[in-house]
Amino acid sequence: MTQNSLEPRVAILGLGNVLLGDDGFGPFTVEVFRTQYECGPEIEIIDLGTPGLDLGPYLYGKDWVVIVDAVRAEGEPGTVRTYSEGEFLNAQAQLRLTDHDAGLQECLARLRLVGLGPSEVCVVGVIPESCIFGEGISSRVFAVISVAIDTLVQLLLERGFHCQRRSRPAEAKWSWDFGRRRNDYD
Amino acid sequence: MARISIDPITRIEGHLRIDVEVDGGSVQNAWASCTMWRGIEAILRGRDPREGWVFAQRFCGVCTTVHAMASVRAVEDALNLDIPPNAQYIRNLILIGHALHDHIVHFYHLSALDWVDITAIVQANPARAASIADGVSNWPGNSHKELQAVQDKVKGLVASGQLGIFAHGYWGHPAMRLSPDMNLILFAHYLQALEFQRKSCQIVGILGGKTPHIQNLAVGGVMNAINLNSLATFNMDRLATLQSLFQDLVPFVQQAYFVDACLLGASYPEWFHYGRGVANYLAVPDLPVDAKATKFDLPGGLIMHGDPGSLRPIENWHDQPIRSAVAEDLTRAWYTGQVQQPWKGQTIPEYTNFKPDGKYSWVKAPRYDGQPMQVGPLSNVLVGYAAGHPLTRKWADTAFGNITSAGGPTIGPNDLQSTMGRYLARAIRSAMLSDLALQHWQLLTDNILKGDDTTYNPPQFPQHEVVGVGMHEAPRGTLSHWVVIDKGVFTNYQAVVPTTWNASPRDQKGVPGPYESSLVGNPVADPEKPLEVLRTVHSFDPCMACACHTLDVSGRQIAQVKVL
Repeated sequence: MTQNSLEPRVAILGLGNVLLGDDGFGPFTVEVFRTQYECGPEIEIIDLGTPGLDLGPYLYGKDWVVIVDAVRAEGEPGTVRTYSEGEFLNAQAQLRLTDHDAGLQECLARLRLVGLGPSEVCVVGVIPESCIFGEGISSRVFAVISVAIDTLVQLLLERGFHCQRRSRPAEAKWSWDFGRRRNDYD
Repeated sequence: MARISIDPITRIEGHLRIDVEVDGGSVQNAWASCTMWRGIEAILRGRDPREGWVFAQRFCGVCTTVHAMASVRAVEDALNLDIPPNAQYIRNLILIGHALHDHIVHFYHLSALDWVDITAIVQANPARAASIADGVSNWPGNSHKELQAVQDKVKGLVASGQLGIFAHGYWGHPAMRLSPDMNLILFAHYLQALEFQRKSCQIVGILGGKTPHIQNLAVGGVMNAINLNSLATFNMDRLATLQSLFQDLVPFVQQAYFVDACLLGASYPEWFHYGRGVANYLAVPDLPVDAKATKFDLPGGLIMHGDPGSLRPIENWHDQPIRSAVAEDLTRAWYTGQVQQPWKGQTIPEYTNFKPDGKYSWVKAPRYDGQPMQVGPLSNVLVGYAAGHPLTRKWADTAFGNITSAGGPTIGPNDLQSTMGRYLARAIRSAMLSDLALQHWQLLTDNILKGDDTTYNPPQFPQHEVVGVGMHEAPRGTLSHWVVIDKGVFTNYQAVVPTTWNASPRDQKGVPGPYESSLVGNPVADPEKPLEVLRTVHSFDPCMACACHTLDVSGRQIAQVKVL
C-alpha cells in the first residue's frame, strides 16, 4: 500500500525478515523485480516484511496474490518453485511466515468469509540455505533471484498482464542494507 | 495439583509458553516463558544513528512504526535535538493510525473468540439482535439485514462441518456465556473490522510513504515534503484524504469497538475480579503538542501498589528518575549476568532448558527501582484517570455508565485492575485516540496553513560519547530504546519493549512478572481446555516477536496443551 495507489487487483508481496539471511529473499526479490520491470497500475508490488495477522489489509479486495518467500520444503537450497494455494496449505511447503502464527491461512479465510479475499493465491518459494541473523542472503540463494523474477514475469504474462522490462532500471528503494551482496548486484 | 503447559499460546505474535499449577479449580502458580532467542540489537552496534530506525522497525513485523519512532527519539534525546511542530504532528498521526489498527485487531481477531462462541450464533434472532444493538449504539452496521447476512454465513460454515480457522475454538465451553444474539453482534463487528483495519493501514501509508515499514522518518524530524501548491508533495489533497479516512475509522472505534468492549464487560462481570497481578503501573507521556515536547495529550506516570494516590507524574521525556530506575534482571532468564542498566546492557545467551526453579525464558526481567511494572493501555488509563486528565475521565466514565446500563455491575477505575479491565482500558484508549486523531489532524493543517513547511532539523554528532533514551507509549505499553553513541556511531543499543515488562520472568528475589502473577487465582473449569488462562494472557495483547526478537530456535510446534 503506497501513496497514489489506485485500486490494484493483483498484489505481488515479498515476505520475510531482511535481517535474517535468506529469509530476506522475498522483500529483496520483489524490489529487484520492481526496478527491472514495469507493470500496469492494476499490480501492486510491496515488501511486506513479516506481518503475521496484519497481512489481511494487503490481501483485501485483490483478485490474485503472488507471495514471494523462503519456504520450508524438501529439496536443495536455492531451489525455486511455484506452489499453488492447496500445496502450501496442505503443508507440502511451509512459508517461514507461519512461524508467526498461521497468518496467511487465517487472513485468507476471514476475508473470503466476507467475500473480499483473493480467488487465487500462489507462492514463488525458494528453499533457503541459512536464515542466520544479520548475515545477508547466501550466494546460492542470491544466484536464483533472477530465476524467481523470470517466474514472476511468466506468471503475469500468462494471465495477460502488462509486464515489460524497463529500458533502464528504476531506482531501488533499499530501506535496508545488504552489504557486499547488494553492491555486487548493482 | 495438576500442572498444565500451553505451548505455544496461539493468536499472538511469536512463541510464548505458559505453565500453570492448578488446584481446586484455580491457578496456584504460573510461569511465562518465551521460547525464542533475543539479540537483534547487536546488528545496530557500529551503525550510523541516522539509519538506526530503518533496522529497528524490522524488529517486529507488526509494530514496525513504534520501533522506528522510539529509535529516532532516542537519538534526538542523546543529541538534545528538537524537531519541528509539523514533524511532531505527522509522527503523532502515524502513531494514532497504527495504534487504532493494533487495538482493533487485538480485540476482534486476536481475543474476541475467547469470549464469543461462534457456534452459538446459529441460535440467534437477527431482528432481536439488531434491536439490542440499536439500543446501545448508533453504529449503522447493526441493521437486521446485516446481522441476518452474518448469521447465514455462520450457518453455512457450521452446516458444512468445515469450521476452518474457527475449528480450534473452545466452543460450548462452560465459561462461554454470551447470549446467541450478543455472539452475533460481536461476530458481525469482527468481520466489519477487516475493512477498518485496511483504512488504518492507508492512513499510515499516506503519511509514512509506505506501510508496513514507513519511509518518512529522519533523526531530526520527518522527510515529508510539504508544499500546498505541488501535486507531488504532502498537500491539501493528502490532508483531505487523511481526514476522510479518520472520519470513517472513528465511528467504528467509538460506536462498535468501544461499545462491544462495554457489552463484554457487562456480560462477564466476574472477570473484573480475576487477573489483577502486578499492580504497579508505568506509562510514559506521548502525543507531544509542541516542538519542544513540553506538553502531551497522553499523560505519563507511575502508580504503585494499585493506589491512585501514589501517582508520580512523568511530565516529559527528560524525566530523570526513569533513566536511573530502569534495569533488566537476568537471574531467571537465559542470559549471563545479574542486573543491568539498559545503556550497559549485554545479551549473552546461557541456555539451560526450562527450569521452573532456575532459568526459564528468553525474556529479560525489567524492573523499576527493583519492582516489576505492568505496562499497556491499562497503565495509560489508570495514570490518566488518577491525574484527572479530562479525555481519559470522559471515556472511562462513559464506559462505566455503559456497563451499568447494559445490566452489568457498577464499576470504577479500581475495577479496571483485572483481566476484563485490560480489555476495557484498551477500548477506552482507542476512543480517546479517535478524538485525538482529528485534533492532531487539525493541529497539522492549521500549522501548514500558517505557512510553516519545516519538517526537519539536521542532527550534529559530537566527537564524544553521548547517551539517550527514546520513549514511546506504544499500543502494548511503554517502549524505550536506549542508545549509546560515540563519534557518530552506535556503541550500544537496547530495546526495553512492552512485552518484556509484562511477560518478564521472575527476578533475583523470585518476584514474578505481570503475566505470571495475573494468572494466580484464575479459575480453570476444565484443565484440558484452559480457556480462562488464555483470556488473562490475551488481555495483555502479547507480542513476543520484539520481546525476544524473531529468531526461531524451537522449530515448528503444534499448539499443545499438556496436563502433567
